[in-house]
Amino acid sequence: MTPDAASTRPEFTQLVERYGGELFAYLFRQVSSAMDADDCLQDTFLRAFRAYDRTEEGSNYRAWLYKIATNVARTHYQRRKRQGDREQTLNPGDGSSEPGPAKLLEERLELERVRMAVKSLPDKQRAALILRKYQGLSYAEIGAVIACSADSARANVYQALRSLRIALKTEVVEAGNERIDSVANGA
Amino acid sequence: MSESIRSQMEHDRRWLRDQEGKEQPDDLLRALDQIFLPPSAAQTAAAVERTAQAVAAETERALYYDVIEAPLVGKLNLALSSRGLYALTFGGSEAEFAARLQRAGERSVIRDPVRVRAAADQIRSYLAGLRETIDIPVDMSGMTEFQRQVLGAVRDVPRGRHITYGELAQRIGRPHAARAVGRALGSNPMPIVIPCHRVLAADGSLGGYSGHGGVRTKRALLQLEGAL
Repeated sequence: MTPDAASTRPEFTQLVERYGGELFAYLFRQVSSAMDADDCLQDTFLRAFRAYDRTEEGSNYRAWLYKIATNVARTHYQRRKRQGDREQTLNPGDGSSEPGPAKLLEERLELERVRMAVKSLPDKQRAALILRKYQGLSYAEIGAVIACSADSARANVYQALRSLRIALKTEVVEAGNERIDSVANGA
Repeated sequence: MSESIRSQMEHDRRWLRDQEGKEQPDDLLRALDQIFLPPSAAQTAAAVERTAQAVAAETERALYYDVIEAPLVGKLNLALSSRGLYALTFGGSEAEFAARLQRAGERSVIRDPVRVRAAADQIRSYLAGLRETIDIPVDMSGMTEFQRQVLGAVRDVPRGRHITYGELAQRIGRPHAARAVGRALGSNPMPIVIPCHRVLAADGSLGGYSGHGGVRTKRALLQLEGAL
C-alpha cells in the first residue's frame, strides 16, 4: 500500500493529547476565565478538526493550533466587548509576601490597572506577549501564529511591554491630576 | 518620557534580544505574572478531557469523502458516515459535492482517502467488471421514510435483473404511487450502490436516469451487469 498525504499525518486525537494542556493554559491567559477557556479549547479543536485534511503533511501543528486558538480568543474578546465587558474576578495572588490589608488593597488596585491595560492592547501584541513570555514559543513560531515575520513578532512583544509601561505611568499621572482637580473644585 | 520608563524599556529590549528569561523582575513584570497565572492541573485535565470527548463525538458524526477515478463514469465523489456509505455522485465537482454534504447537516465534512479507500476499491472493481456485488453498508439516515422504503426495495433487485416503476410501487405496498416512486428514485443519494438503474419503464424501455450521463450511463451499467 502506498502512503498518501492523509496517512502520514498524526491521528487528530494525538494532537489533543499533545497540545491540549498548553493550549488551555494559553486560552485561560487570554480570556481569564476557566469556563470560557474551556469553551474556547473545544472550539479551537473542532475548528482544527474540520480543517485538518487541508494542512500540509509535516506542518508545524503546534503553531497552527495556536493560530486557531488566537482567532477563537479574538472572537471571544469581541463578543465579550459587545456584551459590555463583564467584570472579571481577580486571580488570587500567591500570598508569599503576606502584605497587610491596606497594602493588599493597593496591590489589587495596581493589578487591576495592569489588567485593564493588557485588555486594551492590540490583539496581536497581547497574543505575542503571552506566547513569548508564558507559552515558550519561538519568535518564528509566534510569527506563524500572528501572520508576520520573526522580527515583527519580536517587535510586537516589545511594543506590548512599551505600551503597558507608558499606559501605566500615564494613568498614575492622570489619576493624580484628577485628585488635585477635585480638591481644587471643593469636592 | 520619564527616565525610569526609558531604562525599563532598555531592559525589555535586552531581554527580547537575548531571548532568555534573564529579566530583572520589576512591578510590571511581577503584575503580569499574577495576571497570567496558569490554570490549575485539575482545570486543565477537565478541559482537555471535555475537548477529547467533543472531538471523539465529532469524529463519529463527521462525513468522510474522497474523489476517485472510476471506469465507466470517470470522476466519482463518495462520502461515508460512521454507519456506511452516505452519498455518491459522479460528473460533479468536488467542491459542489462537499458543499452539499455540509448543507445537509451540521456536521464536519472531511476529505479522508484512508477511511474511504475500502469502499472506493469495491466500487472501482465493480465498475471494472472485476466483482459481482458491492458489499458496503449503507447509511439511509438522511432519507425520508418513503425514500427508505423505495430505495430499500431497489437494493433487493439483484444484478442482471430489472423491475418496472409500477412493480416497485406494488412491492412497497403503494401500487398507485408510481410517480412518487419515480421521484424517490430521482433523488437517490447513492446511484450504482443503490441500483436505481435496474428500474425500467413499463414498456421495457430504459426510462430516465438522474445520474450524470443520463440514459447512456444507465445503459452502460445494465450492459456491465449482463441485463441488456
